[in-house]
Amino acid sequence: MKKQTFEQRRNDVRRCLSERINIKSNIRNGKKRGGNRRWWRTNNSWLDKLACDKKIKIEHLKKRHIILYLPECMNFSTEYENTALHLRVIRRLSASHKLSNRAYKLKSVNFDNIKNISTSASLVLTAEVSKWEDVLNDNLVPNVETWDPRIVKQFLEVGFFDLFKNQPNLTDVSSASELSLVKYIKGQCGDANKSRILRESLEKIIGDNINKWKFLRGGLDEAITNVSHHAYPDEQFKNNDKNWYLSGSLNRNTNELKIVFYDQGLGIPGTLPKSKFREQVLDFLNILPIADRKLDSALIKAAVKVDRTSTDQPDRGKGLQDMLEFIKQRGEGYLSILSKKGLYKFSIKDGKTKDKSESFNQPVLGTLLIWSVSLNE
Amino acid sequence: MTKFDIGQQFSRDPVGRFYSESSKINKNNLNSGEAFREEHLRPLLAELPEGEKITFILDNDVESYGSSFLVEGFAGIVKYGYMEADSLLSKIEFQYDDPEFEFFEKKIIQYISNAKFNSEAYASTKV
Repeated sequence: MKKQTFEQRRNDVRRCLSERINIKSNIRNGKKRGGNRRWWRTNNSWLDKLACDKKIKIEHLKKRHIILYLPECMNFSTEYENTALHLRVIRRLSASHKLSNRAYKLKSVNFDNIKNISTSASLVLTAEVSKWEDVLNDNLVPNVETWDPRIVKQFLEVGFFDLFKNQPNLTDVSSASELSLVKYIKGQCGDANKSRILRESLEKIIGDNINKWKFLRGGLDEAITNVSHHAYPDEQFKNNDKNWYLSGSLNRNTNELKIVFYDQGLGIPGTLPKSKFREQVLDFLNILPIADRKLDSALIKAAVKVDRTSTDQPDRGKGLQDMLEFIKQRGEGYLSILSKKGLYKFSIKDGKTKDKSESFNQPVLGTLLIWSVSLNE
Repeated sequence: MTKFDIGQQFSRDPVGRFYSESSKINKNNLNSGEAFREEHLRPLLAELPEGEKITFILDNDVESYGSSFLVEGFAGIVKYGYMEADSLLSKIEFQYDDPEFEFFEKKIIQYISNAKFNSEAYASTKV
């Protein structure tokens, strides 16, 4: 038998060790795992680059644990990219708890810097933290001592602290804020009757009935139906993950009423059916400037605008139209539909109807609907 | 004269298209358009004496109707070939005290009129 050289022996040992590591990490509980080995590496370098470019502020702890610092202002209208980016970081880091030990993991989210957060951003943040809390099996402990008192009050009203088994001490929360929020409602597919709870809560804040409520209710029912049909395909989401969130607020200074609906699913652009309707949408996009093609905002706009009665599915695709009806009936206000990297905004002001589309660099992870109307007569 | 009060005899929250839009608690969405059509509208139409109409009370404790419910619940009768649109429209009428519910009446008539007769074979989504 020929004697192995030192290099041959070293290569054999390395190969065996590498195979053993691969077997160990790819097979656990009898199930073969794949794809995650590279993903955590990409995830880590993505975060390092964001921190290096000063787009996010993070602090590294032992065992690759991370503290994420939220920015001063979180608002989808004025600070879209920064807000969406931080929410995306929370989603990706909380998902990495199931990955390799070498993946960065979210240890804590620091709220100390937040001075201003919109109703929609607080609902989406609550939804993302709820998803993270589900991954960690109720281990999160909110530490509010260093938070801005107005933010504590806002999150208390929206029901953020109800997420946690470990409740903070909130005996003295009396900061004045112009925003009154409704405690968020979390539902699953088929839980449409929960919209009544929202109406009752909003009417308590307003002290009056909501004019044209039935048209908003119709839109909310359709949003919930869409969640059941499209947002969470069975092959990509577990049943426990198929949630939607609903909240509302009244700004006492401006008398602006906002209603916000959020699901964490695939988003409208990702769920347009592969049918004649899709062909019709693509035809519709042909009349838009070339640069706009294939953008999520154009797809959302097409989903709202294209009439399916001339296709083979005349009974489908009416839900988005139902969502506009509240604004149309009131004759003022706006509906913003944010999904993936696109925004479609339908508004009526001084009797003039306007719609606009916008595209962003950062995606909303799901679909966010924001209705806004003024209560000033 | 046949009357059917949707809020009292079916659901105060009629919503969704199919039985299969289930929640954690209910395996079947019994408030769906499919449930309304199969369990109430079809039997009512089958038993309706010649020349009479079914009056649907729309606004008794019902907040609203989404188009998915209305399309599946009413226009589904035409789509699945149970009855032609004209025939169905001649057998139903609507009643409401709140004038804003006229919007939903118009929607129902529009959806029935636009439905293509017998364009799809019905397969129940009930578990």
